Amino acid sequence: MRDTSTAFRVKKALGYAMMLAFLGFSLLPVVWVLLLSLRPATALFEPIWESPTAWTLDNIRSIARSDFPAALLNSFITAGSSTLLALLVGVPGAFALSKRRASNKFFASWLLLLLRMAPPVGFVIPLFLVYVRAGLIDTYAGLIFAYTSLTLPFVVWSMWTSFNQIPDELVEAGLMDGASLGRVLWRIVIPAARPGLVAAGVLSFLLAWNDFFFSLIITRSDTTTAPVAVMNFVSYASVDWGAIAVASIALTLPVVPIIVLANKYIVQSLGGAVKG
Amino acid sequence: MTPPRASAAMDRTYRRMLWPASLAVGIFAIAPLLGMLALSFTDFHLVRGWSGKIGIHNFLRLFEDRRFVSSIYIMMALSAFGVLAQVVLGTAIAVGLDKIVGKWRVARGIFVVPFAVPHVAVALIWLSLFTPTLSPINAVFAVFGIEVPALLTTQTGAITAIVIADTWATYPFVMLIVLAALQGISPDLDEAAALDGATRVKAFFRITLPLLYPTLLMVALFRFIETLKHFPLIFVMTSGGPGRATQATNYYAYVQTFQNSNVAYGASIAVFLFLFAAAISFYIAKANARLSDA
Repeated sequence: MRDTSTAFRVKKALGYAMMLAFLGFSLLPVVWVLLLSLRPATALFEPIWESPTAWTLDNIRSIARSDFPAALLNSFITAGSSTLLALLVGVPGAFALSKRRASNKFFASWLLLLLRMAPPVGFVIPLFLVYVRAGLIDTYAGLIFAYTSLTLPFVVWSMWTSFNQIPDELVEAGLMDGASLGRVLWRIVIPAARPGLVAAGVLSFLLAWNDFFFSLIITRSDTTTAPVAVMNFVSYASVDWGAIAVASIALTLPVVPIIVLANKYIVQSLGGAVKG
Repeated sequence: MTPPRASAAMDRTYRRMLWPASLAVGIFAIAPLLGMLALSFTDFHLVRGWSGKIGIHNFLRLFEDRRFVSSIYIMMALSAFGVLAQVVLGTAIAVGLDKIVGKWRVARGIFVVPFAVPHVAVALIWLSLFTPTLSPINAVFAVFGIEVPALLTTQTGAITAIVIADTWATYPFVMLIVLAALQGISPDLDEAAALDGATRVKAFFRITLPLLYPTLLMVALFRFIETLKHFPLIFVMTSGGPGRATQATNYYAYVQTFQNSNVAYGASIAVFLFLFAAAISFYIAKANARLSDA
């Protein structure tokens, strides 16, 4: 029996209106940045309907000529390396944590969660002092190590939850066939845990890609990552809004296909991380 | 069952798999945190160095420091309003999307877009929207002769602005997780409630919400921790201002360490924040252990 009364229709319309309003809240700022990136500096401070024909590609050209593309490359190199390092070291560790019979697992899970939640300002103070002495300020190695303090606890934690969903029988069956534990991990467990692995890799990359704080403190100019390089367009004298808009889009674009493609895996993984 | 000798060999292999990760976590994560703890008991200054003094003077100073105490209030305001807005909005949208399928499927994808925008870009986008001379919001309202107040010039306004920007970027996270949880709840429950004559709203509050409660609590805790770490939003949108009005504790630790060169004092503020995170992560780990035992 479907309710077709007027009251029900009004309620339904209100529901749709509310959803539309929030859709606007989510989408309009993105549209705004797209418009901003194509507006000439002369028309920035007037409403669009007063100069509806003023469009330019100058902002994109000036970004292409600036240091920003190099900073994007720095972001790719450091976030990518740190994620690879974290996966390489973290996945076998997570497998052992999940399948080994041990009693101190609670401590390990608390520690990993704590490291994931600890304020970065705490990590960065000692790192900065050591880096100044060791000559690691403004180097790829320094930044990759710093990012690994974010990505490694995350990768171990999330792969641990993924491996927990792989039945122990699968491991035992592989061992019965005479395979070594390493082979079982590589040939059986990792393929079975692929959704979790994709999500862990993607989210760990984003964790480093999104970083602003570490890069702000321990890079100077050579290895500055894109999020910090954007701030070059902001100065006390003037703010280059067009360039900022283009840079913000450039910063987001690589993430969008990742989020869209890995959406399903990420939801599973986040759900797992939240529910345990 | 595997024979005991084989299992001893296996245990050795497991330990071999574990040690690179343990070593790396120790070097990259635990060592810096111990360094932070050690520094917090000294009087290390970026320019003056260390006089050799060791003690709890930094921690005693914390609670006499008005700027520190007010930074806690600011942090709490940002976290409380932020988490509340994100959880309520994320849950509302998730409930809306859960019932609606078909062509609205696309809507789910659109709602997720802000989640992909890096924090610095989020901050810059909203800075542009809150800059009265630039903002299309001001332009639209000006057509109707309404002057929109400049949010970033007052404390309440600046905190509101940061909460709005943070909510825009992160409620999709809440939405995705609540949506996944909702899809695990059987629709039979709703139908049963409808047969009993309960209205939809009543059924939601009596049945769905209690079932969602564990998920909502975990999501809220995760978001709470993240909001304690606010940095790019404050740095870009307000620089802690107007005056010191948005210097939340995490930002204040940065100011003391890297602007005032008071490294040791900054470290003691970081230790304070760390204890916060330790308590909450302990609670979450306990809850997880209970879940996996059950």
